[in-house]
Amino acid sequence: MRKPALVRRDRVLPATQALGFFVGIVVALLLGAVLLIVSDHSPAEVYERMFDSALRGTDSLSRTLGRATPLALTGLSVAVAGSMGLWNIGAEGQMMAGAIVATGVAMMADGLSGPLLIALMMAAGVAGGMLLMLGPALARSHLRVSEIITTLMLVYVAIRVVEWLETGPWKDPDSFGFAVIEPVPEQAALPSLFGRANIGMLIALGLLIVFSVAVSRTAWGYELRLAGSSPDTARYAGVSLRRKVLVALILSGGIAGLAGAVQLTGSATRLESGLSNGYGFAGIIVAALALMRPSGVAVAAFVFGAVQVGGQSIQTLGVSSAIADILQAMILFGALVAVVLFNYRIRWTGPAREQQADERLGSAITQEAADV
Amino acid sequence: MSEEALIGLFVATVQFGTLVFLAALGELIAERAGVLNLGVEGMMAMGAVSGFMVGLETGSPWAAFFAAAAVGALVGGFHALVSVVLGADQVVSGLALTIGGLGLAAYVGRNVVGERPETLFTDLGIAGLADIPWIGEIFFDQPPVVYLAVLLGFSVWFVLARTRLGLAIRAAGESAPTADTAGHSVMALRSGAVMVGGAFAGAAGSFLSLYMAPGWVEGMVAGRGWIAVALVIFGAWRPGRLALGALLFGFTLALQPRLQSFDIELLGVEVNRISPALLGILPFVLTVVVLVIISWRYRHRPSVAPAALGLPYRREER
Amino acid sequence: MASSDADYAVWLRGIEKQFPGVIACAGADLRVRPGTIHALLGENGAGKTTMANVLAGVYRPDGGEVWVNGRRRFFQSPADAIQAGVGMVYQEFRLVPTLTVAENIVLGAAPRLLRGAEIEQRVAELSAAYGLAADPARPVWQLSMGERQRVEILKALWRNASVLVMDEPTAVLTPGEAAELGVTLRAMAAEGRSVVYISHKLDQVVAFCDEATVLRRGKTVATVDDLDDVDLQELAEMMVGSSQGVAMDRPPPVDTGSEVLRLQGIHAVGDRGLPALTGIDLTVRSGEIVGIVGVSGNGQKELAEVISGLREPTEGQVSVKGQDVTAASSSDRYRLGLAYVPEDRLGMGLAPKMSVVDNSVVRSYRSQRRGLFLSTAKCTEFCRGLVERFGVRVGRLNDPIAGLSGGNLQRLLLGRELAGRPSVLVAAQPSRGLDVQGVAAIHGHLIDQRADGVGVLLISEDLDELLALSDRLLVMFEGRIMGEYGPDVTPRTILGAAMAGNPPR
Repeated sequence: MRKPALVRRDRVLPATQALGFFVGIVVALLLGAVLLIVSDHSPAEVYERMFDSALRGTDSLSRTLGRATPLALTGLSVAVAGSMGLWNIGAEGQMMAGAIVATGVAMMADGLSGPLLIALMMAAGVAGGMLLMLGPALARSHLRVSEIITTLMLVYVAIRVVEWLETGPWKDPDSFGFAVIEPVPEQAALPSLFGRANIGMLIALGLLIVFSVAVSRTAWGYELRLAGSSPDTARYAGVSLRRKVLVALILSGGIAGLAGAVQLTGSATRLESGLSNGYGFAGIIVAALALMRPSGVAVAAFVFGAVQVGGQSIQTLGVSSAIADILQAMILFGALVAVVLFNYRIRWTGPAREQQADERLGSAITQEAADV
Repeated sequence: MSEEALIGLFVATVQFGTLVFLAALGELIAERAGVLNLGVEGMMAMGAVSGFMVGLETGSPWAAFFAAAAVGALVGGFHALVSVVLGADQVVSGLALTIGGLGLAAYVGRNVVGERPETLFTDLGIAGLADIPWIGEIFFDQPPVVYLAVLLGFSVWFVLARTRLGLAIRAAGESAPTADTAGHSVMALRSGAVMVGGAFAGAAGSFLSLYMAPGWVEGMVAGRGWIAVALVIFGAWRPGRLALGALLFGFTLALQPRLQSFDIELLGVEVNRISPALLGILPFVLTVVVLVIISWRYRHRPSVAPAALGLPYRREER
Repeated sequence: MASSDADYAVWLRGIEKQFPGVIACAGADLRVRPGTIHALLGENGAGKTTMANVLAGVYRPDGGEVWVNGRRRFFQSPADAIQAGVGMVYQEFRLVPTLTVAENIVLGAAPRLLRGAEIEQRVAELSAAYGLAADPARPVWQLSMGERQRVEILKALWRNASVLVMDEPTAVLTPGEAAELGVTLRAMAAEGRSVVYISHKLDQVVAFCDEATVLRRGKTVATVDDLDDVDLQELAEMMVGSSQGVAMDRPPPVDTGSEVLRLQGIHAVGDRGLPALTGIDLTVRSGEIVGIVGVSGNGQKELAEVISGLREPTEGQVSVKGQDVTAASSSDRYRLGLAYVPEDRLGMGLAPKMSVVDNSVVRSYRSQRRGLFLSTAKCTEFCRGLVERFGVRVGRLNDPIAGLSGGNLQRLLLGRELAGRPSVLVAAQPSRGLDVQGVAAIHGHLIDQRADGVGVLLISEDLDELLALSDRLLVMFEGRIMGEYGPDVTPRTILGAAMAGNPPR
């Protein structure tokens, strides 16, 4: 019987990841259309509404960019660790930790002027994210404990801490008994650029550029890439792998923490347990689609932002916004499968029909030989 | 605090324990075969919604339970296809499974929110034993899924430790080339383990929607899938320890909503002043601590974690 | 033709197997008679392991036929090969460290239900029957390499394999264990089983093999029906061959200058924790090429790593230009004038996924900075200089190097190492796997460096290359230096004997 096997192609097709991403989007839209048809919706109508609300006109674009901002930051966070071959699965939690510390700072420094307070809160966000990452980073660099699990576990720790703060120590006395934390001071709200897009977008864009430049243009980034791509060659070049692991992870935590502070001062009004809203997990998918490259993170974050905004908008058509989550997952699966098939071809191996005949002949001859 | 409340706490401990145990047992099978599946949360949600819908339709909790298991296996099969057969990254694929599974569950179940099935699992009062004070109510008057979970726990232990199949699964998780060159199909073993694991997670989801919190609402799995992932590590990949861990984690889950009503002092702390949220941290912190301790203690010998966990295998790659 | 098929336990016919960028087997043949121990010889990369993997069902060949016990086979997986009676002992053992000896042995051929005590009993009986001592209840991670190998052999015997393939079995054994292995294999052959014994340790091959096949560059170059008729030296030459078509004129002698590299009493252990170097003393002077002769696996890799600062010696001292560098890092040694061309260029030395420019500055990126930044202009300039000076044929400088040919990769690597104007160059297998032009280019550069007063330590398996280039030859065997020889005055027979551990005198 002939059986299939995946065999690596001799020549890798060019631009595979970008193409894979595109294929992923197409596949997701097709599968989404099937789902919509099955549930008696018109895909054309739904997709048109999604497109209009996410991409047509400045107001729509501002909404998409507003969503893309935290995605770009968490995506970058994951990409920083990913460029060393490490997985930060806990950006969701580091976002929360960043928002917690930023809220704490805001409570203590209430009277400060807007820009100063915002700057302080951003710094606090970075510190909070780094703090939550400190344990996993040290455990990884010194004890080789998998960062995948430790960062993931701390997500729930951070979320529960927020719930605790909501019900206890930081409960807003003016909230008529509701378990909420008092809103951040008004002067700490990030200024809007246009519509829903605020300064946070520029911060994210700036960081993407800074990281992109740092990785591709500095000696530090060079060492990071070398260590991530060929640890033995890095050792040969005199790079300390342990320190690189530690720095990449801590930095990754800091960026996710910043995402929390940006979200807190940008689109949320107060620290709440739903603040991270899945951005940290979606950031992993964004970074994976981007192959850990900053430019790719920007593109993928924008696409995911648009899908999420579009998902919200179709509720008025009576379609569940859950479509957005399905589409995001399908884009990733589509791209994963496409990229594997770009790099591998399916080869059927085994005796063809003639060969099987040959085999019977062979055994017959053997039989004959044995008889003689 | 009343005796009744205390018994209620332990009854709920067993039930929450069963919920996370079932899901974690499935994840344990997949991980022992070398596949990390971070899609447990999504598989549970799919199981919860599909079980609930089949329950509505058929009125049979068992039909619902097995339908949920089948759906879980199917969703798990997706992870197997992408990460085992095609060899894509397990972390990314699993996470996408959680995001997509939660989304799909919400979408599929959008029209049944708020409904209640006519028949749910009912408690089995085991004759003679259920009447024993305390013990009877806690252990012998539970829904059948609880006993099924115990049975499954023993079965998984038996298969892994005492059968040829289990030996092959363990070998695939420790060293895929070894299992392969010994004549086992790593792809089949791993795909099978992931799908069985998915069935367990799906079944656990239906236990949630057909008994513990009858009905379907978006987000009802509420992180229990992640607790199951943590539990596998906490239990050091062993079914027995997994059961103990499940009771401990189940206790914290059961205690959270009840904490306020416990008017007692423990070690000088008034229990009802402890935040339920802080209590909820416990399983995750314990898991990290256990993981670090394991890594430290096993630094000079093979880790208790399956050595090939998370590594895709392609035979002819060199 | 076909009527003789039944005479062979194994017949691999015209096996072809290609990996991306590498042709591992180009029509190689192997015939093994039943009840014999058959040596499969060849240098690294000759295709021995690929042939073994084809026979064991791990690789599916692109072309050729596999016959086992007189029947044509189409192995889809190792399971098929096991079914046909082939058992393989891999060089990197295929054992699960956390499982017990007994569990490892029965894996894949276990009874449906495992009863620990019963299986351990049966395994104990099997190990007693073949005199292969192994405690069935112990976890494998606690075993020595020799014990693990016994477990691997027992694994094949448990399945009653009629053909046993052993890939470099003695690489991890002490001489005593190797001798015991020979006894076991003889006993198995006496039962009518066949053994394919992959090795390059010639003394052992002669000691316990009956017949031999020699592979070179993926093809069978010789078959020996009776090893008793062949002597060691002849076999060594068959394996190593000669680099045909490369004109290698002996360069005129250069006045050797001061001592640039000195090793004193170096001891070191290998990756598996076994001693790899024992008491190495050597010196390299400016303007000479010192060749390290030896069959690979006798400590050459470890020697290169100790010199370059990537492996810590357990004892002894390394000095460069009179300065003690034993504690210095690899990059510090490079700054002091020690360049290193590693043996496995794509694993260490080059980063396959990074660009030509990135790979060209592995040694010098620290000095290509402009303020905070790594100057792209400087790096590209530097890279372009290398590419031109060393004739590296590349596409775009910003493309990953993974697409370059072996010769161009090596030119890039060597060029990069020489760019720092080193005083010492350690080159490990610099021409392995290269085509004729590539080999010639690399040799040209080595000779030029010598003329410029660089001290070169050349580690190679190619005797012709060493004889043509070296001013002095040091023969290594089992982590020791067996002696020093002049390339002009030493007959090959003497070198061959020294390579096999029996230096004359």
